[in-house]
Amino acid sequence: MIYLDHAATSWPKPEVVPAAMQRWFTDVGVSASRGAGDRCQVAARTVATARAALAHRCSSDPAHVAFTSGATESLNLVLRALLHPGAAVVTTAFEHSSVVRPLAALASERNLRLEVLPPHGDRGIDLAAVRSAFAHHRPSALVCTHASNVTGAVLPAAELCALAREHRVLSVLDVSQTAGWLDLRVGADVLCGSAHKALLGPPGLGFVAHRGLQLPAQKQGGTGSSVALAQHPDHWPDAFEAGTPNTPAIFGLEAALAARSEATERRELAATLATLDAFAARLEAMDGFRVHAAKTAERTPVLSFTHARLDPAEIGAILAGADVHVRTGHHCAPWLHEHLGTAAAGTVRVSIGPNTAAAELDFVADLLAGL
Amino acid sequence: MDRYSRQHRIAGIGQHGQERLRSATVLVVGCGALGTHSADALARAGVGNLWLCDRDVVEWSNLQRQVLFTEADARAGIPKATAAATRLREANSDVRIVAHVAECSATFLAALPGRPDLVLDGTDNFPTRYLLNDWCHANRVPWIYAGATGTEGAAMVVRPGGPCLRCLWPDAPATADVGTCETVGILAPAIAAVAAFQVAEALKLLVGSPDVATGVFTCDVWRGHYTRLPLLDRPSPDCVACQHGQHPALVAPAPMAATLCGRDAVQIDPGTTAALDLTALAGQLAEVATDLQRTPHLLRFTADGVRFSVFPGGRALLFGVRDPLRARALYDRWIGRRP
Repeated sequence: MIYLDHAATSWPKPEVVPAAMQRWFTDVGVSASRGAGDRCQVAARTVATARAALAHRCSSDPAHVAFTSGATESLNLVLRALLHPGAAVVTTAFEHSSVVRPLAALASERNLRLEVLPPHGDRGIDLAAVRSAFAHHRPSALVCTHASNVTGAVLPAAELCALAREHRVLSVLDVSQTAGWLDLRVGADVLCGSAHKALLGPPGLGFVAHRGLQLPAQKQGGTGSSVALAQHPDHWPDAFEAGTPNTPAIFGLEAALAARSEATERRELAATLATLDAFAARLEAMDGFRVHAAKTAERTPVLSFTHARLDPAEIGAILAGADVHVRTGHHCAPWLHEHLGTAAAGTVRVSIGPNTAAAELDFVADLLAGL
Repeated sequence: MDRYSRQHRIAGIGQHGQERLRSATVLVVGCGALGTHSADALARAGVGNLWLCDRDVVEWSNLQRQVLFTEADARAGIPKATAAATRLREANSDVRIVAHVAECSATFLAALPGRPDLVLDGTDNFPTRYLLNDWCHANRVPWIYAGATGTEGAAMVVRPGGPCLRCLWPDAPATADVGTCETVGILAPAIAAVAAFQVAEALKLLVGSPDVATGVFTCDVWRGHYTRLPLLDRPSPDCVACQHGQHPALVAPAPMAATLCGRDAVQIDPGTTAALDLTALAGQLAEVATDLQRTPHLLRFTADGVRFSVFPGGRALLFGVRDPLRARALYDRWIGRRP
């Protein structure tokens, strides 16, 4: 199989990831802070190492990093903890359903006002429009993705977060598409991300990292701490970690983080982008194809394309017949397609990873050339 | 006056047979032309329990031959099983009728509250017939295969131990090879002829008559030919069901239907990797579908207001439909292929 859906989940994972997960099942089997035995200590050390590694990448204190079931849960918990009734929120048209849907639900539950900024020019977003939205709507939060999961455009997160700070607006950054590719130290107040995409960890694990905010628990349950009290603890990270943690996944993520330095990630990103650019150039030269690729300075290795005569779903089915796995449709980014002109049927998305070979994309381009 | 007085005067039935009918349970799979004809006859004959199963809704083009439905049913798009049950209760309120608006799948059959005494084939596709064949074989339930297209029909009683449908044809023929009511049309008396055979055999089976017909009944009502081919006195020595106790249709993965996110479109994955002959299918559809377009990679056509894109592996996209059950019905109707 030629796997071109890394923006959904990366595959294959580095061998150390399933090996670490297997080690948990074979040798450990218990959760951190659920007992005092040696194996609990092993679990606690590995979880602490993973937490510290994420904190380092997020410029956060380990005490302000919580594990969740994924970026979706992270965003739901954070938005519910932060947004008060009647609050205004500035967000962007690039957002994934994991931002769009919780915001839509909160908008009706808590009467939020949403200001959605459209895509703009080579920077992805118009900073003047952001400034004006902050001044005009007095939002309590900026909620935005670090990169588009449809086009690979990376938004100017550092400038956005600085502007937010200047206007006393809390910044919540969804780093699902960038963690594992880009520097996340962009000054956001809260980062929400997942383990299973470019970080190359397992699914079922995400994280919240923040800069010392008051984020009250949104779910209550066992934490292994404060066991004598009926009240859920309000100290972090326990406040956000109710219930048995996904320790095998944390073992997998810890191994993935230890095996790949940030410098390696940057090198791999540059090489991967070069591979994808060559593919994009071939597509653009072919009759009937329209490529929706990012023109921003920073990008992730994701592009979308459409065809004049074939529906994206038809192209996906034809490629599937040749054992090529791409993604078709709207990619859980409901707002963006209005701006791309692809609202009716979406796009075909090609997203690649560190191990995608140029020859694989050549094969796909040859197939597409024959349509 | 006993409503069944004319019936139990038949020597093979009698009062005793009528009692057996009253305590019998028959599952009718498919409430189309054949299913409605046969269910109507069984209800009027006093079969005590009728279970009806159909996943589709009444459409205008059904009224020409599907006897239990009215124009009001078609206008309202009432599920066929529901509309049929309503009409049958009006015809005979003594019959306990259960309507299942459902696809007849292995899961559906396994979830039935008990074993029926008999299963009647009222389906319009071979994949479901093979499922009935295998399920009935595994559960020791007799069933009566019946089908009609154009002016022709065929029917056969299948009893536990065989011979069975797989003795006749080991695997389901491709729809492109056999034609469907959509592609070759259907004349109502062809239905009535096979229904007459099916119901007569059903009554004989239910009363325990020794006169149940063997072989394959075939007819062409246009030419006036009615024959019973003395095929299959005994099970085929190669039949996987009769000789080896295997039931491929019970373990085959069901075709998967998924609504495309945010769209009025459903993708059907037939759950088999065998190639589909798109050129043959295109030939079958040439006269009945519109916007037919064949490329090396796909076949596109429009039928029942839905645009189909079919791929060589049998996968299909149906644009203009949202309900996966409806999409599966349309897939079976127009493409119709399953393991």
